[in-house]
Amino acid sequence: MSMPRMTPAELRQHATFTALMWAFSYPGRPQRLPAAGLAAFVAIGETLLDLETGFFTPHHDLAPALAATGGRSLPPGDAPYQFYPQLTLAELDLLVTAPLGTYAEPDRGATLVLGCGFAQGTPLHLSGPGLAQPLTITVARLPDELWRARATVASYPLGWDLYLVDGDQVIGLPRTTRVEVG
Amino acid sequence: MSLASLAHPRQDFSYGFLDAFAKRELRRRMLKAIAIPGFQVPYASRELPIARGWGTGGLQVTLSIVSPVDTLKVIDQGADDSVNAANLRRFIARMTGVATTTDTLDATVIQSRHRVPEERLREGQVLVLQVPDPEPLRQVQPDSSRAREMHADADYAQMWLTLYEQLVRFGRFMQGASYPVLVHGRYLMSPSPIPRWDTPALHQAAHLTLLSAGREKRLYAVPPYTDVRPIEFEDVFFQVENMAGRICMLTGARNKFMDELPVAEGGSQFRLSDTGYAAKLLRRARGDAATLGATYFDDEGHFYQPGVIREE
Repeated sequence: MSMPRMTPAELRQHATFTALMWAFSYPGRPQRLPAAGLAAFVAIGETLLDLETGFFTPHHDLAPALAATGGRSLPPGDAPYQFYPQLTLAELDLLVTAPLGTYAEPDRGATLVLGCGFAQGTPLHLSGPGLAQPLTITVARLPDELWRARATVASYPLGWDLYLVDGDQVIGLPRTTRVEVG
Repeated sequence: MSLASLAHPRQDFSYGFLDAFAKRELRRRMLKAIAIPGFQVPYASRELPIARGWGTGGLQVTLSIVSPVDTLKVIDQGADDSVNAANLRRFIARMTGVATTTDTLDATVIQSRHRVPEERLREGQVLVLQVPDPEPLRQVQPDSSRAREMHADADYAQMWLTLYEQLVRFGRFMQGASYPVLVHGRYLMSPSPIPRWDTPALHQAAHLTLLSAGREKRLYAVPPYTDVRPIEFEDVFFQVENMAGRICMLTGARNKFMDELPVAEGGSQFRLSDTGYAAKLLRRARGDAATLGATYFDDEGHFYQPGVIREE
């Protein structure tokens, strides 16, 4: 019996999952994805999506690639995985309808994958599980209203789990992470 | 272009034994478990070539996260060489090509049945704990559906009542292994049947802990730097097992978790439960090179984080 080897897809999905796992484990610390730009969103999609789950994205180029995973295209009020490569204020109105989970099933809260920039922008002060000390990151190209909505729309254990993507870097902000803007 | 050049080489098994759908589902559940510390996330729990109850939960998690660049340690009640640990380690290595070790410091992934290693785990390490019963409320609420409602409501009054009754009847907390803990101030969690000695090691730990019950089809997690507090009263505190006065018969180590070995003439001898740590102590005693990591409890029995284990 020969030892099974990783296929290229398996290798890509494992590397993506590892980045996502450590991104949630250590919020605020950038992790490296095996692809950059829109391909990073596709890599996250093929790692998490299949015919057992569904997604939403308003991005016309990304939608066919995500649909190729077998995941169902769902409205933003139902989709457990949502991808916004360039979140606009108009798209924020869709995002705020994303599922928050229930007290019996908080794991049904949506995972949101958002494109942004890390080099400069709005300072975010982070604290909570995964952070030995409070940490400040800067995030550009995301409307400040997102952070207000995240803080007010639900309280733990309900909420959204966020991945912020810039190039081939991903930062995780699970619902346990407290975010203060400015 | 030929068909052969487009197809993958034939393989007897998928990488990591599990098929792509199983791994993807497990990975989705693991990410949610990390995002909601202590919450039991249901998952499908596939069939494996070992029986449920023999570590299939931990095995599925490990098979989903390891890659050939990882180094794996598998322990069973602290021992690297027990039948269960040896079988799981060999199976995982055959299915993933992962390197194996008995040294906690070298491992990136540690799958364990009911022990946390004596040496402190560091950032970037994953501890996978096998869980026979994930439900900490089982003793007060045998109905799983009702127990899930109690978790939803954070209604843990019956657990506090049980704790109080133990104090009234026996004068101390009677729970040994699986001592219930409150994670991130919200979810009551069974830390798996690790001894009370190991429970404080999960509090504000640098490493990631994943817990998985294959038979019960539930997995949950403790992210790094997360509060994990054993339930206790303001005036009666959680205590770990008393290891004072127990000296390892092989290494002379003190104030570590010991296996008790009855001797024919009566009485007991003691031996370090963590065999990987014991082997390094023996190597060093012989004058061979061995790097010892800092331990959770020092030789005087003090836990490395002051104030976590409170003195009465």
